[in-house]
Amino acid sequence: MRVIVSLWVRNLKTFARNRVQLIFTLIAPFFFMYIFSSIFSLQSDNPMSYMLAGIIIVNAFGTALALSSSTITDIVSGFMKEVLVSPVKRSHIAVGQLLAAATIAVAQSVPVMILGWFLGLRYTNVFTPLFALVAIIAIGFVFGGLGLFLASVVKNAQTYQVVGMVVQMPMMFLCGAYVPLAILPAALQKIAYFNPLTYTIAFFRAVILEKMGLPKGEMVAEGIAFEIGGFTITPLISMFIVIAFGALFLTLSAIVFTRVDFSRINRTKLNDADIFS
Amino acid sequence: MKNAIEVKNFTKQYGQFTAVKNISFNVAEGSIFAFLGPNGAGKSTTINTLVTIFDKTSGTLLIDGKDTTTQKDAVRAAIGVVFQDSTLDTKMTVDENLKMHCCFYAVPKNEVAERIDFALGIVDLQKWRNAIVSSLSGGMKRRVEIARGLLHKPKVLFLDEPTTGLDPQTRAHIWDYIVKLQRDENMTIFLTTHYMDEAEISHMAAIIDNGEIVAMDTPFNLKKKYTKDKAYINTSNSTELECFLQKHNFVYKNKGTHYSIEVDNISTLLDLLSDQKRFIGELEVKKGTLNDVFIAITGKDIRQADMGNKEDKV
Ligand SMILES: Nc1ncnc2c1ncn2[C@@H]1O[C@H](COP(=O)(O)OP(=O)(O)OP(=O)(O)O)[C@@H](O)[C@H]1O
Ligand SMILES: [Mg+2]
Repeated sequence: MRVIVSLWVRNLKTFARNRVQLIFTLIAPFFFMYIFSSIFSLQSDNPMSYMLAGIIIVNAFGTALALSSSTITDIVSGFMKEVLVSPVKRSHIAVGQLLAAATIAVAQSVPVMILGWFLGLRYTNVFTPLFALVAIIAIGFVFGGLGLFLASVVKNAQTYQVVGMVVQMPMMFLCGAYVPLAILPAALQKIAYFNPLTYTIAFFRAVILEKMGLPKGEMVAEGIAFEIGGFTITPLISMFIVIAFGALFLTLSAIVFTRVDFSRINRTKLNDADIFS
Repeated sequence: MKNAIEVKNFTKQYGQFTAVKNISFNVAEGSIFAFLGPNGAGKSTTINTLVTIFDKTSGTLLIDGKDTTTQKDAVRAAIGVVFQDSTLDTKMTVDENLKMHCCFYAVPKNEVAERIDFALGIVDLQKWRNAIVSSLSGGMKRRVEIARGLLHKPKVLFLDEPTTGLDPQTRAHIWDYIVKLQRDENMTIFLTTHYMDEAEISHMAAIIDNGEIVAMDTPFNLKKKYTKDKAYINTSNSTELECFLQKHNFVYKNKGTHYSIEVDNISTLLDLLSDQKRFIGELEVKKGTLNDVFIAITGKDIRQADMGNKEDKV
């Protein structure tokens, strides 16, 4: 426990000491808010909530992925050697990382939600904002897990940026956050169904819009539920799908993370060509 | 006596290249073991494998009776390491680095502050406690690294060239403390260094070259076996001195009037020379050193080997 807390605090400090990164991370949601507001005003009866849900999730996702690149920095700088040679459990190291991702996701989202309130966003249920926070924390964990997995496979800062982009861009555009899935070509829609972000957003929207209890037909019309092969994926099912993805990412990252062979890393540091070792 | 480290037929390959070839050795509990060798000999490879960071290719490596492949956690709990390359958290302060280490090794909370004070005292860095590591000089970073290695008291402490780049005063200080740790805490210490004088404190020294152990004994025996004492004489009369040296079958070399003479027993030479004072200007007697052992065995002076390597890198 002491180790997890120390690593968590340490990761947050590292993050906060990079001023540019810190400021950009906190400002980014407002920038997206500006862009999203013009898109969503066209297509929903509740543009504010629609917009906020998209911004919060896409940011939490981006931040969690970006934060994992600090794991690479730690591997390359050598600090990870100090951590891995100590009797600290591998899982604790990962949890410290994921907690930091979740914390930053929350720190980004709260100002957006407060601003939303000033812009006229109202919840009928007092638990909605709390539930939303829990969901954001969980999302930080799930995508932090994905980032950690990618980071421990790639182990090289430049390559990670490229891989990050390749993974992040399609996931961000094919999830219904920017572009509603309904207007995508059928082929892209199919791809979107393999994207964990799709379910994350559907679920999170249902929470924020307080539409968990709607009839199926209406949910599909709102874009928070999908018909796949005659089967309706409700927001609740989406939640379980997200949890399943999270478990998968965490397991994968735990496996790869424990197996990092440092006798190969020294070389990847020198030789960028040799990425997947 | 029990062995703190047991290595049997250890081999490590990097791809096709074999860095360590089937080496075996034991280190007795509570002793200081020096692992010496030229650049690229395989010292760090051996240490990194012993401390569970690298995977071995074959062989058995035990630390405190635990296998470094199958009982990694137990091994990690028993050891402390100062790696050759920096492993500091450079964005954090010195204090934060040391506290984090205490946390990793579960040092009791009420002892943390005291231990950090003490460790910083040994490396003389108290004033820099709140400095961010990346703002320190190279030697100062190295000192933080050593201080960190001394914070928890492991059963077996690995030091991979700990004192490279440090000033002589700090080096002396650190070695004094390491010897004290070994004595007071019965700690086993496994060290590598390119400063042969530092290896003199070891109870056992192994010399590794090209991945193979070529000699292993106490520093005393190594010196006895591989070196001769030397007498250096500056003479006013070369002819007479040479005549004398040849008469007594001494092996010698000279540069002008400076002669270096190999001797088995200093006192025999001194007795013989006592009648010949008239042509002896200066006389200096030197005992064989580990450096001489090293040169005799590996065929190169470690400092030259070092220089060569540095030039390569530039
Ligand atoms: N990660 C690696 N990948 C491939 N080869 C390596 C790697 N690390 C070391 N080697 C090679 O293994 C050999 C032994 O290296 P090692 O680092 O163990 O030497 P060393 O005895 O510690 O030398 P030094 O005194 O310079 O520290 C060298 O020839 C080196 O090139
Ligand atoms: Mg080395």
